[in-house]
Amino acid sequence: MRAAAITLRPYTVLAINGRPDSADMKQKLLYKTQKAYMLFSLLILVISAPLFYFLIEGMYLEETEETLELHRKEFMTYHAPGLSESDIPVWNRMSRDLKIEAATFPLKRDSVFQQLYFDTLDQEHEPYRVLLSPVLIHEKPYHLRIRLSMVESEDLITNIVLLFSGIMLLLLAGLYGITRYFSKKLWHPFYDTLNQIEHFEIDKNSPLVLPETPVEEFQRLNTALNNLASRNSLIYKSQQEFIENAAHELQTPLAIFQAKLETLMQQRLTPEQADVVLSLSGSATRLNRLNKNLLLLSKIDNQNYGGKEIIRLKDVIEKMLGFFTEQAHEKRISVTVHAACDGETSSNPVLAEIVISNLLLNAIRHNAENGVIIISLEKTSLSISNTGPSTALNADKLFLRFSRPGTASHGSGLGLAIVKKIADLNGWTISYTYCEHLHVFRLAF
Amino acid sequence: MKILLIEDEGELAASISDYLKSNQVICEGASTLASALDKIHLYDYDCILLDLNLPDGDGFRLLSELKKLDKSDGVIITSAKDTLPVRLEGLQLGADDFLTKPFHLSELLARIQALVRRKQFNGKNTVRFREIGIDLLSKTVNVNDTPVELTKKEMELLLFLVGNQNKVLSKGALAEHLSGDMADMLDNHGFVYAHIKNLKRKLSDAGSSDYIKTVYGLGYKWQA
Repeated sequence: MRAAAITLRPYTVLAINGRPDSADMKQKLLYKTQKAYMLFSLLILVISAPLFYFLIEGMYLEETEETLELHRKEFMTYHAPGLSESDIPVWNRMSRDLKIEAATFPLKRDSVFQQLYFDTLDQEHEPYRVLLSPVLIHEKPYHLRIRLSMVESEDLITNIVLLFSGIMLLLLAGLYGITRYFSKKLWHPFYDTLNQIEHFEIDKNSPLVLPETPVEEFQRLNTALNNLASRNSLIYKSQQEFIENAAHELQTPLAIFQAKLETLMQQRLTPEQADVVLSLSGSATRLNRLNKNLLLLSKIDNQNYGGKEIIRLKDVIEKMLGFFTEQAHEKRISVTVHAACDGETSSNPVLAEIVISNLLLNAIRHNAENGVIIISLEKTSLSISNTGPSTALNADKLFLRFSRPGTASHGSGLGLAIVKKIADLNGWTISYTYCEHLHVFRLAF
Repeated sequence: MKILLIEDEGELAASISDYLKSNQVICEGASTLASALDKIHLYDYDCILLDLNLPDGDGFRLLSELKKLDKSDGVIITSAKDTLPVRLEGLQLGADDFLTKPFHLSELLARIQALVRRKQFNGKNTVRFREIGIDLLSKTVNVNDTPVELTKKEMELLLFLVGNQNKVLSKGALAEHLSGDMADMLDNHGFVYAHIKNLKRKLSDAGSSDYIKTVYGLGYKWQA
């Protein structure tokens, strides 16, 4: 029975793995691995770009300073010895980047610094690297000012860093794409399997078919699942057979019991004895009903009611209504029918009758004196509403076997389980709501 | 009326036979397929009650045998196994009716009577009880030639009561006879009371004696 109970509620399985309402919080496996990749790549990119920039800049500055020093040495070696004092203004006029200035302030050592100069051609300030060096020309102290433009170097560095970043980005994007593609391909059999299990129903006769995969782990998973499913199906089937056999075996002793009771009824009985016989007869009827419903359930499971045909629910209701209105009137219950259309759907006709009669039966059985029953048939749904207990029923348990709302009920506890089973078989949905003092059972077909 | 009761459950067979005997039905018993086959070769019966699950074989064999012997005995299958294929096979092999176990003895008797009436149908199909005449073809009831207007349900009820005369009939059995399978789903058999009341009134209005007795707590009885 347990396996059957679980299949009646496909959501129980979900509920174990994690509540369905938190399912959208869950992330895909692929997303998780990709997230780590992406974070690492981004980090590398963010750190490496400035680092690269400063490194190149440093190297370039070093290079510039060496050049400045070289210029100084050149000047001191080739030009300074032949330079007279009167030549200095001429030199300064001819040379743009190497000037000889009077030592207006004391300077002991060479000094290198960055300075902006106004470029008259471009009409803007340009950065220069400047070497200021104390020199002696003909025993007189001068300051030698050598400068080198940094404009081109800055452009160069920026370009190099951009290029580097671009290549890096391309590399990472490529890596991301490739891992994504391969992960997807790799996990494909897994998702296939997942899909199959999600749609597997133990009470349907279709077996679980998991495809072969070349990946060993997935093949193991599939084999294990196949074994699990076939074992469960076998157990389910044998349970089903057991229920059916048990119910059949019970029919004969029940028949004897009932026959003996009827024989007993023919005797002259005292009122006390008659009460006992009556109570026994009531129990026999209940037992019989229970047994019939159990048989019916297993017959539906075993697909004894296969042949579907187009039926009109309106006709089914009309056929049943006579008996049920008679029953309803006895409890002073008024029955109203709103049939907006024929309610055409496909089902085994016997099963459709069982659904309608079980629903109507409940509407009468759990109704109050002077209550109402409203049957309304629309294009794709049928709702049967009735007055009754003033609290809503537990909708989760309602359609389970043997979950009666109260102890007072004389039902078999299988009526709604049968309705649910037939609805599932026909691809209908049955739902329950309690609104405006009415218990509403809605069948969508 | 003579019937053959093929049933391997001794207790059930005894109850059925007791019940039928007191309503002028002679009941011969067979508890195995072999003895049943012997009996149908030797005698003719008005009706045969056939249990399908017999210790030495399938009850269907008896149906084929009857066909082979070209006998026209009416057959009612009484089986615990009630599935559409079983029903169809039974009817195809020539069974006339199908009664699923457990059943009410009163229902069994009513079915036997209906079957026998159909088989012995000689242009007229009527049931008489003293001043009351029931014509099953025209579906009319007369009390001393006074026609009585009965509904379909009241007519069925009358026939059932007369057929099971002098037997206490529980409300459950009556409800099941009137409403079929649906009745045993409801605990409320009040509608039986309503039909009985109407029937009683209509019959006495037409001048019939009051044969329908209420049996305390249990149900009703047609007192002959």
